[in-house]
Amino acid sequence: MVGSSLRRHCCRLLVPVLAGTLFVGTAAAHGGSLGAGSRESIRIPTWLFLLTGGGAIGASFLLSSFVTDRLFIREFHGWGRDAVVPARRLLVALGHLAGLAGLAAVVVVGFLGPDAALANLGLLLVWVGWWAGFTMTTYLVGNSWPILNPFRTITSALPTLDRDYPDRFGAWPSAVGLLALIWLEVVSPLADDPRLLATTVLGYGAVTLAGAAVFGPTQWFADADPVARVFRYYGRVAPLTRDDDTGRLRLRLPGSALTDARLVDGLDEVAFVVALVWVTTYDGLVATPLWRGFATWIVGVGVPPAVLYPAALVAGYLAFFGAYWLAARGARRLADSYVSTRVLAQRFAPPLLAIAAGYHLAHYLEYFLSLAPAALAVAPTPLSGPATGEVPIGVVPGWFGALNLTFVLLGHLLAIWVAHAAAFDRFPGRLQAIRSQYTFTLVMICYTMTSLWIVSQPSVTPPFL
Amino acid sequence: MTDTTQSTDRSGTATGDGPEIPDEYDLPPDADPSVCAHCGAPFADEELLVLHRGIDHADALDDSERDAFEDAYESERERLRSFRLKALGALVLLYFGLLITYSVFA
Repeated sequence: MVGSSLRRHCCRLLVPVLAGTLFVGTAAAHGGSLGAGSRESIRIPTWLFLLTGGGAIGASFLLSSFVTDRLFIREFHGWGRDAVVPARRLLVALGHLAGLAGLAAVVVVGFLGPDAALANLGLLLVWVGWWAGFTMTTYLVGNSWPILNPFRTITSALPTLDRDYPDRFGAWPSAVGLLALIWLEVVSPLADDPRLLATTVLGYGAVTLAGAAVFGPTQWFADADPVARVFRYYGRVAPLTRDDDTGRLRLRLPGSALTDARLVDGLDEVAFVVALVWVTTYDGLVATPLWRGFATWIVGVGVPPAVLYPAALVAGYLAFFGAYWLAARGARRLADSYVSTRVLAQRFAPPLLAIAAGYHLAHYLEYFLSLAPAALAVAPTPLSGPATGEVPIGVVPGWFGALNLTFVLLGHLLAIWVAHAAAFDRFPGRLQAIRSQYTFTLVMICYTMTSLWIVSQPSVTPPFL
Repeated sequence: MTDTTQSTDRSGTATGDGPEIPDEYDLPPDADPSVCAHCGAPFADEELLVLHRGIDHADALDDSERDAFEDAYESERERLRSFRLKALGALVLLYFGLLITYSVFA
């Protein structure tokens, strides 16, 4: 979700830090935005590029509408295999330890380690190891955050007041928390400044420990904590999950759990899913030249930048939520159904998680591969920085731009299919189920085209920050 | 579609003698729904109700209801067939439309 801004930071950092290293030429070229690479490899007018992306979504909707066998869809989504994990307790204990060690490294190295971002293990651990690498595992493999989460490990060992978490709050604190974290990431040099990052982690930790102490860790991480919710939702896309009743590991088809009606069961949870999708867009949007022009104009008119960024975050979020709500209302009308708009909005929100995962992978795989060597190089001497004074950066091949676009499209295709399956589960009429997807498909086409437009733009530093 | 055994003593949402309409439905004021006798789910027309009964209450169907379901399923298959033709047409149009656009602009 903090993709392109990290890329921006990465781009700004790479050039000075790498001067004099072997990789300088290529690394600087590949540290640029997702869009720069993809535009070079495609060489078609932007509008045609966008049209093709939108067309791919429309075509996949049409193709999925050919699959109308209920039994097949249900069996396809119900497929799974169970397995017992050997030495489960040992693995869980190791996971707890790894999480605690990671947190300690982020804080200690963040405050005491080198100032340069790429030489600081704490900063690399958070952005490269955790936010890029670990997040990928949550949707590609399975969500292990409940085990790794150091704050959960700490609070589970501490006494708690065990107050009842107010039901009416639901997932709202986590949705607000997510938007707030993204705002902070966009407006502050969180990806450049190890001290600021360590302070932020401590601040987040203080809020989390306090919340878990009052409501108990189980309730806090299930409802209010934005980070745990992000990983839990991403984990729904993944092929591996843990059966809560038996403790067994379950293998399923990726994305197949997203048709589950229980996954999102309130407006608050819909709001969170939409926030997860919107923050990726926001993060990319503020790095486009269009935004720079708009921001320059509106600040010239007299709006302070300190108001502009959060206002745009909230306004864009409301626009996204509004568009999604209209799609749900349209689905109700087109399907000639009496199911409430709210229930439809809940039912068709989980497919959006596949889209969010696709964008995350597109933003971060390249980032992870190019910066992981740096993290490994500084790991042996975290406090003094790299021994040679240089940090190695991995160089990815040029076709990665096309690969990233493929991830974006794959996320959308999975979403289209899952929504199709959910519609067949929800509506008795097969034609009715297909019709219910018209508006959602339209919204997805618009969203794809917007996102592809953003990645096709040259990435610039957001103004006034 | 869960509370099949509840009676209709809650005011407002109940219609006739069947089970009450579950919370997940939201009827427009001028609606004249066909309501499922098993679970209270309302539908805009009889055919959707028949399909719903066949899918969600397959074990509770009598012979006439089973026949009605099979008829409705069959008639839906006809309409699906014509929808598929249109969808295929749209796909072909999209494919060649993009192909021609590419040949001109790219």
